[in-house]
Amino acid sequence: MNYSDLLVQGLVEGCIYALIAVGLTLVYGLLRILHIAHAGIFTLGAYIGLLLTNETGSFAAAFVITVVVVGFFGMAFYRLFYEPLLDKPPHVALIASIGLFIAMEEIYRMVFGATSLSFLAPPLKDTVTVAGVRLEEGRVVVVVLAVVLIGGLAVLAGRTRIGIAWRATVSDAAMAESFGIDLARVRYVNFFVASAMAAAAGIMVALLLNQVIPTMGGVPAYKALAIIVLGGLGNVRGTLIAALALGVIESFGTIYLDRVLDRDAIAFAFLIAVLMIRPQGLFIRR
Amino acid sequence: MYEISLLTVMSFSVIFALSLNLITGFCGQISLGHAAFYGIGAYSAALFTTGGGSFWLALPIAMAVAGFFGFIVGFASLRVRHDFLAITTMGVGFLFTGFVRQQEFLGGEEGIAGIPDPGIGQIPYMLLCAAFAAAVIAFSLYLKRSWMGHAFDAIATDEDTARTLGIDVARYKLTAFVFGTGLAGLAGALFAHYVKFVEVESFDFIESISVLAMVIVGGIGSIWGVVVAAAVLSVLPLLLQVFADYKLLIYGVLLFTVMYFAPGGVDSLMQTLWRRISGRQRRDKGQ
Amino acid sequence: MKALLSIEGVTVRFGGVDALADVGFGVPRGALLGLIGPNGAGKTTMMRVITGMVRPQAGRLAIDGTEISRLPTHRRVRMGLGLSQQLVRPFAGMTAVENVALAAGHATTANPLAALVTISRAAERDRARTLLQLVGIADAADALPDKLPLGYLKRLEMARALALDPKVLLLDEPLAGLNSAEAPHLADTIADLNRQGTTVVLIEHNLIEVMRICRHLVVLDNGRKIGDGEPAVVMADPAVRAAYLGSQEERHAAA
Ligand SMILES: Nc1ncnc2c1ncn2[C@@H]1O[C@H](COP(=O)(O)OP(=O)(O)OP(=O)(O)O)[C@@H](O)[C@H]1O
Ligand SMILES: [Mg+2]
Repeated sequence: MNYSDLLVQGLVEGCIYALIAVGLTLVYGLLRILHIAHAGIFTLGAYIGLLLTNETGSFAAAFVITVVVVGFFGMAFYRLFYEPLLDKPPHVALIASIGLFIAMEEIYRMVFGATSLSFLAPPLKDTVTVAGVRLEEGRVVVVVLAVVLIGGLAVLAGRTRIGIAWRATVSDAAMAESFGIDLARVRYVNFFVASAMAAAAGIMVALLLNQVIPTMGGVPAYKALAIIVLGGLGNVRGTLIAALALGVIESFGTIYLDRVLDRDAIAFAFLIAVLMIRPQGLFIRR
Repeated sequence: MYEISLLTVMSFSVIFALSLNLITGFCGQISLGHAAFYGIGAYSAALFTTGGGSFWLALPIAMAVAGFFGFIVGFASLRVRHDFLAITTMGVGFLFTGFVRQQEFLGGEEGIAGIPDPGIGQIPYMLLCAAFAAAVIAFSLYLKRSWMGHAFDAIATDEDTARTLGIDVARYKLTAFVFGTGLAGLAGALFAHYVKFVEVESFDFIESISVLAMVIVGGIGSIWGVVVAAAVLSVLPLLLQVFADYKLLIYGVLLFTVMYFAPGGVDSLMQTLWRRISGRQRRDKGQ
Repeated sequence: MKALLSIEGVTVRFGGVDALADVGFGVPRGALLGLIGPNGAGKTTMMRVITGMVRPQAGRLAIDGTEISRLPTHRRVRMGLGLSQQLVRPFAGMTAVENVALAAGHATTANPLAALVTISRAAERDRARTLLQLVGIADAADALPDKLPLGYLKRLEMARALALDPKVLLLDEPLAGLNSAEAPHLADTIADLNRQGTTVVLIEHNLIEVMRICRHLVVLDNGRKIGDGEPAVVMADPAVRAAYLGSQEERHAAA
């Protein structure tokens, strides 16, 4: 493999990480909760997306339905599990979230079985050549999705009423409330967006690997945690940069670091090294 | 015999859970990667005895190696707090598994098999483990009553205020990490010489969460609560097939429900119950 | 005369706000110094700089001629600072007497090894009860902090600082939350402690008590020092009167 291939592969990985991590950092920014169960929502997206595609035969339709359904699922999840814990000390929500995540994985195993599911007719498998690099269509779609969804989010945050309310709430919830912002609504929207993006990432990962298993959320989720810390917990721009950087570092790392460290541990080696030098993450929260 | 293996498993689980309780419960430093130190203890003891070393020497070596790495991770904990610490310690767990997987001298994915038997027979081994567990319980009880326990308590509640009382928070945290990880190393060594085979899966994130579940369910910082939770949760999968099949589901649901309904765990539930009962008796007598 | 605690050129900026701008003063040995000023003047920030909880952008601090500017909080405390904070921070899980006893055990907790091998808390508990008596809250000795009113918590905070056997006692609004009978009483206690040899820096809005017991005043306004000297002289200064009257008027207008 040559360097430009590695770079492109890394950026594609990075886009997937970004789709997961941006939602995680949004939740943290708003509620100060490390939403570990986000990974369970990612996996849910993969299952629903795959099953719907196999059922309907249309990947595009399945994709849209899944993203919306999982978005609503995320809202319900917040209402049921996190809202009652908001006033408790921070470790309460964190540990509850870990518990939920493990339970979700087990429920998937019970409902969908422990063996992997795959697409009957894997879509987007043709290769195209972009800027001299041969890529699977699925990977191109990942990049397009990341740009569209995260770019759309930026526009939403900057231009719309709910976006402005969201930013006000992140910087000072009490103040925002005193200006008449409906905090509950902001939180629901937040969970909808975060969960929808995780679902999108889940389907795309399912597509690229052509398999869905109950534990597929684990590794990307833990990495996403490392990413949001690197990005400066709650900082969306920092998270994006950290996600892309990690994707690229991993893709080069598999060649140069493989003898020392498993690919999946690179994120944390990077994280710990950074925290030792800058305990506040690479990027300070704005 | 069946009961012997149950008691052995119970014993090193109690040690392992109390070792985390020392760090997270007493000193208030959350760790999501404690299984790494259990693993470090298990691997170093296994390497030592498969290389011909004596089992008795393997135990202090496992403690020392795990405690040494605990000291280093403790240093990391000084730089970060709360959520950052949770993720950093989780990272330490992944670094451990990620490193071991790629190392030939640690057996890589296959692990280390053929760990020699300590050669003292099953019942004495069970008694040995139980004696260690009793010693660790006694040590925990002692620690809690000592001035070190008092200082840990202050740091766990509010470390900034502890500083204004002249407490060197960093040294206490490091001490907690060294004690806690050293004891995890001991538990790991006892585990390795019981199953006679170590592989990296036994020390992954799920294992870290399992031991955290024991501490949480028992009641963070409570000694007897954690002992009971560790004893029960560690042998249930051996006793009941349903529990073995749905272990993770049960752990997950337990973690969530305890946090949701009773963040003080078994310990505070028992205390509430006790107050109700004794309160009722007093009232009954009064009437 | 050489100051026991000397503060030079302290500047603290929070974002765009100058909480302290080049403030310096000396606290002579045996002094009972009142540090006063309107709300937001920077008094608490100065306390936090002295104890090392806030790192100033500039400034030097020394106790007894030894520079402490780079020392962490616990080292400064061991060199003789005792802080009673404006916002009370009792350890929630400990009774009042345990809170104070922890501070009274500072010689033991200073060394983790000593802390590990020491069990008995009897002497420290006795000392704690004596101090709780001194500040007038002996009746709450065995209560948990969340059951106590503010006036009690402020005095608990002060007892805890006293238990450190400080050379310099730093009190941030100790009279807050006390009624008109309790306040003069605690002020008398502070004056007594000072007579017995403890140097005191007292931040207080209750100017009647400040004027009654302090023999030296430093006045801050908007992060700047606007007065430093004998109470009567300082309070006669038009700049100080303006700062105070201005804020009094604002306060009345706000009320
Ligand atoms: N951590 C902080 N971050 C930002 N600004 C701060 C911080 N602490 C204090 N300030 C600001 O610094 C200024 C001085 O505050 P400080 O608390 O020192 O005043 P003070 O004199 O103690 O007032 P008070 O009499 O109300 O207690 C204020 O404008 C305050 O808002
Ligand atoms: Mg103040």
